[in-house]
Amino acid sequence: MNSSLIDQLQLGTNGLPYQIPIHPNLVHLTLGLFIVAIAFDIVGVLFPLEKPVFKLLAIPATRSNFFDVGWYNMLAAAIVTFFTVAAGFYEIMLAQPPSDVESIWGLRAMETMLWHGVGGVVLLLLIVAMTVWRGFQRFVWNRDKARQVQWAYVFAGLGIFALMFVHGTLGAQLAAEFGVHISADRLLEMGQDPNVVLK
Amino acid sequence: MFEYLPPLNDHNLPYPDTIHPIVVHFVIAMVLFSFVCDAIGYFTRNVRLYEVSWWNLCFATVSIFIAVIFGQVEAGLAEPYTAAESALNLHTLIGWSLSGIIAAVTAWRYILRSRDPKTLPAPFLGVGVVLVGLVFFQVYLGDLLVWIYGLHTVPVVEAAREGVF
Repeated sequence: MNSSLIDQLQLGTNGLPYQIPIHPNLVHLTLGLFIVAIAFDIVGVLFPLEKPVFKLLAIPATRSNFFDVGWYNMLAAAIVTFFTVAAGFYEIMLAQPPSDVESIWGLRAMETMLWHGVGGVVLLLLIVAMTVWRGFQRFVWNRDKARQVQWAYVFAGLGIFALMFVHGTLGAQLAAEFGVHISADRLLEMGQDPNVVLK
Repeated sequence: MFEYLPPLNDHNLPYPDTIHPIVVHFVIAMVLFSFVCDAIGYFTRNVRLYEVSWWNLCFATVSIFIAVIFGQVEAGLAEPYTAAESALNLHTLIGWSLSGIIAAVTAWRYILRSRDPKTLPAPFLGVGVVLVGLVFFQVYLGDLLVWIYGLHTVPVVEAAREGVF
C-alpha cells in the first residue's frame, strides 16, 4: 500500500491502530481446530486398532464421538477462518516492511505478502469445501455407517496440512524476518532503542 | 561445552523457526473450543458436545507439556533485553502453572465423565470461565514477547549481537 495513504491514518509504533495484531491470534484457532478435526477423524477411522489402547488407559471411548469432534471442530474452523482472513487482509494492507530484505526462501516482502494473501483465500476456500464435504459424509452418505469418514477426505486433510505449513511459514517470515507490525523491529528500523522506548 | 551444540541461526535458534508459537495453537484453540462446546451443550442440552469438549481438553493437556518444553528452550535462547524481561518471567510462570491447571481440570473432567457423561455440573463451567481468562492473559503476554518486544525476530537478534541494547 502507498505509504502516504497509510500515513493518513492514526497508527501506533507497530503500524496498526491497536497494540497487538489480531490476525496471528485468530490463526491459533484456524490451525488448531482444522488440524485437530482431521486428527480425530483419523482416530475414528482407525478405531478398531485403538480399542485395546483406550481399554488399557481406562478411558471409555465410543467411535461416533471421535467423528463428532471431527465434524464440530471442522465446522468451527470454517466459521473462524472468515475472520482470520478478514483480519489478515486488514493488517497486510497496513504493512510497511523494509524493501531491501530477502527472506530465507529468497523472497522479498511484497512477494511474501502476495503469496500469503492469495494462500489465505485458497485455504479459506479449501476449509469451507472440506466442511461441506464432511457435512455430506455425516448427514447424507454415511449417516448410518459405523465409519463416517472416507479415506479420500483424510488424505485431502493431510494435503492441506502441507499447504498450511508452507503458508504458515510465509506468515512467520513476515513477522520474524521482515518485522511486519512488530514494535521493536520498527523502532530499530527508525534507529531507536526498543529497550528505552518500550520500557 | 557450547561447541557440542548445533549452531544458532539469525533467529538465535538451532532450528529454522520458533516452534513454541506453533504448539500453542493446540492449547489455545482446544481450551477455548472445549469451553464453547461445554457452554453450548449446557444451555442447549446437546450432550454430544460434552464429548467434543472432553476430547479437545485431552488434546490440550498433551499439547501444553510440549508447549512448555519448547517454550523453555526458546525462552532460554531469547536473550531478552531489560524491557522484555518481566513479561517473559510472568509468561514462564503462568505457562508452567497452566500445565498443572489444565491437567487438573482434565482429570476432574475424567471423573465427572466416568460418573455420568450426560451431565455437567455448573461449577465446572465456572472453572472453565477462569481457565479461559487465564489462557487469554497468557496469550496476551506471549503476544507482547513477539509483537512488542520482537524476541527471536531477525532485527532484534541482530541488534542484540551488535550490542545495541
